[in-house]
Order: sequence, then C-alpha cells, then structure tokens
Amino acid sequence: MNVLELRGLGKDYGERTAVRAVDLDVVKGEIFGLLGPNGAGKTTTISMACGVVTPTRGSVTIAGIDLATNARAAKHKLGLVPQELAIFGELSAVQNLAWFGALYNLHGARAAERIDWALGVVGLRDRARDVVKTYSGGMQRRLNIAAGLLHRPELLILDEPTVGVDPQSRNHIFDTVRALRADGMTVIYTTHYMEEVEALCDRVAIMDHGEIVALGTQSELIARYAGKGIELELAGDLDAASRAAEPVATVVRDGKLLRVEPKAGLGAVIAAIEATGAVITRIESRQASLETAFLALTGRDLRDQEAA
Amino acid sequence: MIGAAIVKEVQLLLHDRGRLISLFALPVIFILVFGSMFSFGPDRGEPQSIAIWHEPGDARGVAIERALAATPGFAAKAEPSADAVRHEVATQGVNAGLIVPAQGIVELSIDLGAPLQVRGPLQGALAGVVVRALSPPSAMTGPPIEAVTPPGLSKPLDDISGFQVTVPGNAVLFGFFIAMAVAISFASERHTGTWRRLLASPVPRWQALLGKLFPYFLISIVQLAFLFGIGAAVFHMRVAGSVAALALVSLAVSLCAVSFGMLVASFGGTEKQIGSIVPVVLLVMGLIGGCMFPRILMPPAMKQIGLAVPHSWALDAYTDLLIRTGTGIAQVATPIAAIVGFAVVFGGLGLWRFRFER
Repeated sequence: MNVLELRGLGKDYGERTAVRAVDLDVVKGEIFGLLGPNGAGKTTTISMACGVVTPTRGSVTIAGIDLATNARAAKHKLGLVPQELAIFGELSAVQNLAWFGALYNLHGARAAERIDWALGVVGLRDRARDVVKTYSGGMQRRLNIAAGLLHRPELLILDEPTVGVDPQSRNHIFDTVRALRADGMTVIYTTHYMEEVEALCDRVAIMDHGEIVALGTQSELIARYAGKGIELELAGDLDAASRAAEPVATVVRDGKLLRVEPKAGLGAVIAAIEATGAVITRIESRQASLETAFLALTGRDLRDQEAA
Repeated sequence: MIGAAIVKEVQLLLHDRGRLISLFALPVIFILVFGSMFSFGPDRGEPQSIAIWHEPGDARGVAIERALAATPGFAAKAEPSADAVRHEVATQGVNAGLIVPAQGIVELSIDLGAPLQVRGPLQGALAGVVVRALSPPSAMTGPPIEAVTPPGLSKPLDDISGFQVTVPGNAVLFGFFIAMAVAISFASERHTGTWRRLLASPVPRWQALLGKLFPYFLISIVQLAFLFGIGAAVFHMRVAGSVAALALVSLAVSLCAVSFGMLVASFGGTEKQIGSIVPVVLLVMGLIGGCMFPRILMPPAMKQIGLAVPHSWALDAYTDLLIRTGTGIAQVATPIAAIVGFAVVFGGLGLWRFRFER
C-alpha cells in the first residue's frame, strides 16, 4: 500500500520551474530517502506534499486521501519535521508540544499522554519542563522531531533532521527513525549526508533540476548508475583533459579529479588525456557506491553543493 | 485551536521582557513624565508668578498689581525696578513681567521668541488683567467676559489635570505598538519554521491567521485596560462620560492596531527590519495624531493632516469621554466609525497582500 502518491506534481514560480512533474510512490513502512543537490527541488516537492506550498499542477494523495479535496483529513496522516528548528526557544518542551498537539486536536489528558510518549521516543523526558533555549543543538533537533510525530502520523517527513548535530545526537536520531519504522510509521528522509541515506533508507529517489532522475533501492541505483570506474588525479589543464576523454569515456569532473568510466579500455582514456599535455599523477579504481551513482547522475558532489 | 494560540502567544509575551516593557512599562513612564509636565487646571501646581514694578503709590500700578493678584493662576511678584523686571524675564525667573510707568503705556515684558502657543495665552490674559484694572469703576458692573460652553458640547469637568490628556495620548500611542508585536511575531514564525509547521497541520489557513491575530487583539485590550486602570488608580484620571463608550472606543482601537499589524506583516520584512522601521512610523503617526502634542494647538493644516491617522480619531473620542460630562456612545459614534473604517482598510489591504507561502 502506498502512503504517499505524487502524480505529475509540479511548481512554477513565474517563469521559473522549480519542480517539473514528479511521479512518486512511497510504500507503507519504508524509510524513503530523497537526495539531490541544492536547488534540485527537494524542499519544494516536500512542501507540496505537506500542503505548505500549493502545486501548480499534479496531485498529492496521503494514505489514500486526496490533499487538494480533503486537506484536513490528509494532513492528519502526515507529520512534518522542517529543516529549521521549528520550535519556540522561549517555551519549555511541554509548552511547545502542547501547542503543536493542539493543531492536531490533541487536548487535555490525551495531549499529556502523547507529549510524554513523544518525549520518551526522542529521549527528552527528563528535560520536559526546561526552557528549550537551554538545550544543546542535538536536543533541540530531537524536540523538533517530537513535535512532528506527536499525533502519530502514518507518514513522517524529516527534512535534513541532523543538520548541525553532534555524532551522539545523530545516532540517537537514527535510532529514533528506525524505531518509528519498526512501529509501522513510514518515513521520508532528506539529507545532504550520503552515509545517512546508506545507513537508513530502503529506497532512494535522486532529484536534479526539478525532477526525479533515479529511483530505486540503493543496490539498484548503484548497479544501474555507479558501475565501475577509475579516479584520475591530474596535473595540468583539467578542462582540456576532460574534453579530450569524453569521446572514449563517461567523465565526471570532481574538483581536481576526473572520474571516468572507459567505453573501450583504459588505455584510450589515458592516451587522450596525455595528448592534451596533462600528467596523470594518480590512478585509483573507484568503489561503486551510492555517492558514485549520485555523481554519475547529477555530475555534482552532494557535500560540495552544500558547501557552495 | 484559538484557545491554545492565546495560551502560546501569552506565554511567549511573558518571556519577552523587551516587548512587555514597550507595551506596558514605557507608556506608564511617558504618562508620568508628560502628565507632570502639563498642568492645565488652576488648582494644579503653583500659580504663575508675574514680575511687576510701578512707582511707589502710583494708583495705576497699585490697581494692576491688585488685579493681577486677584486673577486665578497668577501671582504678582513685586520688583524694585523696571530693569529688575526685565532681568527676571530675560533670565527666565518668570515667564512675563509688567512695567507700569507713572504715565504712558504699560510695558509687557515677555520673550517674543517663545512659541505663539505658549506666549499667546499668557499675553492675552495679562492684557485682560491690565485693561480690567484700568477701566473706570462705573464701567465694571461685573466680570467683563464669561466663558460658556456652546450648545452641542457637553460641559467639561471643572478641574482637568494633565493626566486627563496624557493617559489617553500615551494609551493610543503605545496601543498601536501592538502592531509591531504582531508583525514581528509573523516574521519570527516564518523565520523559525513554526509557520511552515502550522501550514502543514490540518488547521485551515483562515484559522491559522486568526490564531495569530486574535491573541494580540486580546493582549491589546488588556494593555489599554491596564493603562486606563493605572491612569485612574494612580494618576487620578476621571471618566466624565460613559465607561461603556470608553470600552467601545478601546475595542475599536485594539482592532485597528492589530489590523495595522496585519498590514505591516503582509510586507514580509525580517524581525530586524520591522523593529527598525515600524517604531518610527508609529511615532510619526502618534505625533501627527496628537498623542504627544495636542492637536488643538496645531496649525489648521496639521489638524487636517492628523485626521489621516486613526490616532487622532481615537484621541478625539477619548478626550470627550474623559473631559466632557454626559458623553455617551452616540457622541463618539463618528470617531468609532472612523477607527473601525481604518481597521477595515488596514486589514483588507493586509489580507490582500498577505502571502501564506513566502
């Protein structure tokens, strides 16, 4: 059963198209990773899926309920954990959660029970009455998650939930996500950290230029797009070397490296590069990974995009 | 959800010392300072000393000195010479002086560089004292002039303290500062992402908006009630007219201030931008609306310009209710309608410009 179905979902801002026409199914009980460089359209897609941004075209169905025609019911099935720390630093955890619970019609004893449960899930029960701005960054991130799962949604969307947290809190967040999945919750997870996707996600969609360019399990993506490759470190004109190698290999420029997948033997690639005057200083066999698949698909490194 | 929104906004306000000070403490300080500076009633403060010199035993001089001493609000301060009078005025020991020579014209010593609004009433009153003192006794069968409130205006209270004016003035001025709180609250929620979370929740958008505005409407009502309460309890401000009408005007002011906040929020600036621009706008509105300087003392053109801001209408209504006995809802219906009109325009423009998704 699909918990989320996106059909032809797109968004234009004036002349600019942020998301073209995304078709996506997220299956109940899976942890689904959404990857893409900055500006790929991930956050816009997620915002449309949550009803935060009105789509220009297409439809969103959450747990079988159409978002456009029955937003209230559909949104009850969904929990959003925004990338920002979407909590009130001046209030305590309990005061924060009481407000976010009220948005889902949680009041009184029922709200108190859910708040206690959510704080337990993220390991903040002992700091429940403390003012949030006294928390560490990691604890605030965990409270950010608690606010999204308070109403026990069928689908939890985590938008970059580990930005700026220490390794201990990151591991805690991983454990929380796995526990929620074990409890039957479906999770969509966007991140800039490839190893997080590798550690958590069952299936992955890679977005670029406002569309999904690849979709599948990690092993499917690696097999389909990462392939076998060679990493070359060069001294000389990288642009010229890259252009020269393109007829005989698939070439991806990565900083001072060229990542190539020869079409007809490595010798032809080396000859083409050396003909430009560039000197190959190191040759290394590349290990197939999700990151290499990502690079092959987008031509960009996820971390470099973040730093840029 | 609205109830929870009220609780949340009040909790946030109670944690924001700066906002609490600007909404509740600062107006009280302004009321205290301005109220102490303006003493309008004859029984408020000391009588104003007027320096006077005349030749010893001069009949004209004695008559003027007696008339001066008998005039409420004035006290004659005899000086040994004409130059001593001029010196007192020049050194601002007194605001004016009278030099009565044995023959010829009486000299009114006064700083002609002082604003006309300050100098004019004093000059007129002293001219009246002199004319009255020098008129032949046969012509003075009674007071030469009597002040009478014309039909159509209710009788004012007998003694009007400065606080009757500065309490409503500052209540309106600082009442509109709730607009800044509203706009900053929107900007803050957008910045932190709590607004995004709100839009992702099942709460309809109109309710999300109401959940932001209604708590501030209530806070504004509490603020005005607090300021008028302090005015009555501490500064002995009295309500000459109907308390119900006063409450109605206050509701209209709160509505208008929150609507103005909605309009400011619709421009979508950052907290810093709002915090640096909006106070200036509010102070200018308050200034031309007469919150800091009574409109009655402004030039005619400025009086007309003042009508372009809701502050002036609110102050007109409050002034009538605090000063004129028997003022009821009917007498302040026009200002109330004007304030509500401003609220509709501000709110309408705000709604038209407001973007949920930014």
